[in-house]
Amino acid sequence: MTVQRTRQGDLELIDVVKSFPQREGSGVVAAVDHVSLAIPSGEFVTLLGPSGCGKTTTLRLIAGFEMPTAGRILLDGKDITHQAPNKRDMAMVFQSYALFPHMTVADNIAYGLQTAGMPRAEIKAKVAAALDLMSLGGLGERRPNELSGGQQQRVALARSLVMEPSVLLFDEPLSNLDAKLRVQMRSEIRGLQRRLGITSVYVTHDQIEAMSMSDRIVVMNAGRIDQIGKPHEIYHRPRTRFVADFIGRANFVETTVEAAAGDRATVTVLGKTVQVPVEQPLSAGTRVTAVLRPEALRLVEDTARCPMTIEQGMYLGAETEYILAGDGQRLVVIESGLSAQRLFAEGQTVCVDFEDEAVHLLPVG
Amino acid sequence: MRGGIVRELAVRRYLNQFRRIFQDPVLAIGLILVTLFLVLAVVWPVLAMVGESMSEAGRPLFARYLTEPTYQTIIRNTVVMGLLVAAVGTALGFLFAYVQVKVQAPFKRLMHFVALVPIISPPFAVATATLTLFGRNGLITKGIFGVRYDIYGLQGLTLVLSLSYFTVAYMNLKGMMQALDPALEEAATNLGANKWRIFRTVTVPMLIPGILGSFLLLFVESIADLGNPLVLGGNFEVLATRIYISVIGLYDTTGAAVLSVILLVPSLIIFVIQRYWIGRMSVVSVTGKPSGTPQMITHPWVRWPLFAVTMGVTLLIILIYATLFVGAFVEVPGVNNSFTLSHFDFVINGYGSEAMTDTTLLSAISTPIAGLLGILIAFLVVRKEFPGRAGLDFAGMLGIAVPGTIIGIGYLLVFNNPLDLTLPFGGENPLTITLIPKLTGGRAVLGGALAIVMVFVIRSIPAALRSGVASLSQIDPAIEEASISLGADNARTFRKITLPLIRPAFLSGLIYAFARSMTSLSAIIFLTTPQTKIMTQQILNETENGRYGNAFAYCVILILIVLVAISVLYLTVGSATGAERTLEGGG
Ligand SMILES: Nc1ncnc2c1ncn2[C@@H]1O[C@H](COP(=O)(O)OP(=O)(O)O)[C@@H](O)[C@H]1O
Ligand SMILES: [Mg+2]
Repeated sequence: MTVQRTRQGDLELIDVVKSFPQREGSGVVAAVDHVSLAIPSGEFVTLLGPSGCGKTTTLRLIAGFEMPTAGRILLDGKDITHQAPNKRDMAMVFQSYALFPHMTVADNIAYGLQTAGMPRAEIKAKVAAALDLMSLGGLGERRPNELSGGQQQRVALARSLVMEPSVLLFDEPLSNLDAKLRVQMRSEIRGLQRRLGITSVYVTHDQIEAMSMSDRIVVMNAGRIDQIGKPHEIYHRPRTRFVADFIGRANFVETTVEAAAGDRATVTVLGKTVQVPVEQPLSAGTRVTAVLRPEALRLVEDTARCPMTIEQGMYLGAETEYILAGDGQRLVVIESGLSAQRLFAEGQTVCVDFEDEAVHLLPVG
Repeated sequence: MRGGIVRELAVRRYLNQFRRIFQDPVLAIGLILVTLFLVLAVVWPVLAMVGESMSEAGRPLFARYLTEPTYQTIIRNTVVMGLLVAAVGTALGFLFAYVQVKVQAPFKRLMHFVALVPIISPPFAVATATLTLFGRNGLITKGIFGVRYDIYGLQGLTLVLSLSYFTVAYMNLKGMMQALDPALEEAATNLGANKWRIFRTVTVPMLIPGILGSFLLLFVESIADLGNPLVLGGNFEVLATRIYISVIGLYDTTGAAVLSVILLVPSLIIFVIQRYWIGRMSVVSVTGKPSGTPQMITHPWVRWPLFAVTMGVTLLIILIYATLFVGAFVEVPGVNNSFTLSHFDFVINGYGSEAMTDTTLLSAISTPIAGLLGILIAFLVVRKEFPGRAGLDFAGMLGIAVPGTIIGIGYLLVFNNPLDLTLPFGGENPLTITLIPKLTGGRAVLGGALAIVMVFVIRSIPAALRSGVASLSQIDPAIEEASISLGADNARTFRKITLPLIRPAFLSGLIYAFARSMTSLSAIIFLTTPQTKIMTQQILNETENGRYGNAFAYCVILILIVLVAISVLYLTVGSATGAERTLEGGG
């Protein structure tokens, strides 16, 4: 007979607020401002946003290092808002790795298991397996300061993984590594997480990291959540100008809805009239902002529709980037592939063209 | 409206902080015990002393003491002496530190060790030796120059106290000078400044908080000193000696309490300024690891005069301690210089042996308690958030901020009678529970030893607390959070992670605690009983009765005990775990 074991690691934040007393002065700062978020078991979710937007605070609230000013946090349906951090079935990987400098690598990894009172032999086996898993074989007796940054990062990861927690928490774990190692660790972490199926909350300000690793991305802005979605949704259908601007590069063009029918709206952007899908029905006459990604634009010599002048052209090899000005508007256009090699001269008058699907509309505001 | 919201959030924050502490019972119990101990052992005695001064009999005395010429002179003496010692001591400390850090000179290690010696010697060892050298029958003044120089009074006290206390300024300023980023001076050089200009416009301004802080600390320490003015004051009376005489000679506790408040108020104010205001304006980040190599001063016209003055002071200190050492082996130092071991016999086998064993034993008991409490308070203050955190930190520092005489009198007021609780029921024979037994005076519990241990602990906590705070603030809090995140509670984290990482600070806290206990006098002098004798008090007795040889033998043995204890502590606590190396090596 098999008992259906429910998967662990269902995390939920309900209307969580965390305010700190201002460091200078007597007011308060809302570091986390009414955040609600449900993370199903096994998902890899990234909190993404600029520095100071409250990502770390959110993560520390989940870990229990901070207590929310208001709101609740649930793990597998159980309220853990006021549970002590060491009692939570979670493990955190820190930006600084936070390895215990006075212990060997093996002792670092064994620490949590010893705390839990696991028998020695079992600990030994688990530590050995963890060292193997993270390709740290032979380094068990070293001290952390005898390891390279990448190895320290692996130890930190191994130390958390041996605990087999329901939830793994990461606070910018790769930001101290050099660029090449970062890319490698990115896929390693993601691979491990997939294999082990541990719910993961990952904090970063690096959009590439977020895009490449996450099941879903939570974009935060000044303590609030601006948008939650799959990487593809966040990029192609940003809900706010902030999101569009923060993830990738974007051109913004103000325009007015000319006609609307169901989930489609007709607008004229840069002299081209297009029909675009919209999430909420818009009535004719509404002011909107059209978002156009630079790589979705291309330059044409036919200048009848919306002539603009090339202010600057930068040939980058695989692509060429142009900055255009005209009609009280600045645009960035990135040509890639073969068209990157067809160079336009600075000062030349050109026009931009694009597919209908390249236009995404945002309410003005 | 907004104010209301802010207040509500503040209340909720406090609630959360309480919750956070009580999530972990061990943490909560630790916090409660530490708080109770501080209240019992220092806050209450000090408050009782203040209360006594405000009593019916005390209040009129304030006006009298502040207006009567005799007392005005005493107060003026105290202030003048404090200012002089603070100025000379800070200057000496600066000089030694500057030569140590910035000047290329020979004998620097010797100078360093000599500057540290006062930490391990009884407070007025220097005074007694100075009397032998420069007193009315001084070996140098009378013997060599044939003058009858009167060292008693302000000049003698300034000399002796400056030499005894400049170590504080030296350590303080040396640390800051070493932490000064050489890049700053390099930048100034790059901009065309010469060394003198750099000294004036970069070095000194950066060190001003350290200079001011040392000055104030020395002021507080010197006006609190009791032993030296008793030995060397002559007719020059200061508040500390007058308080002592009021209690011991006149049995006038109320008068002593009033004088104590007059001494306490400026001490506390200056301490608070030093600690909270100057501490904050510090521009040198002592935690930062300076880069580059500091430029040494090699110009002969600067280098050799600085060296000469520093070396001169070094030799003077060596001469003083040599006198003390030699004096312990001669019949009557300076008068009958034939070799004898009778003084050591007196201390080791005779009358003094009791004091020697009592003092060592009580210091040894106090040391680990003070070290652990100090580090625990540091941990709570640096790492935990709870209402009253600043208060706990302040109470922990009271042991050094409050002059010892005042703590001693406070103990007499609070602990001279048992604190009984008579239960309100029981009719004819109500049940009486002794909450706190009689701790001081005749028939005190354990011959007064308990009170003495409490004072030793209270007076030693600040050093451990400060070095703990300094050390903890250099350790990434994430390391402790990692431990918590891996399932360890606060107690396990403290034991397994925090304590090993701050082992060097813990060690220096223990060393300070032991040395301070062995050498403290001003509070203890009120608490010794016929059953419990303390070496410093015996030294004072012998000195006052002119038996310098015995006093010197006591001093030599006391210094030896402290040195042995330091070695033992190094061997037991200091055994390398690699943690300190890792931290220093920048892990
Ligand atoms: N302990 C604290 N006390 C006061 N303010 C804090 C504290 N921790 C964070 N903050 C403030 O909260 C805001 C969010 O911080 P944080 O969560 O660290 O941002 P992020 O990780 O996104 O960079 C910032 O304005 C920060 O200054
Ligand atoms: Mg952060």
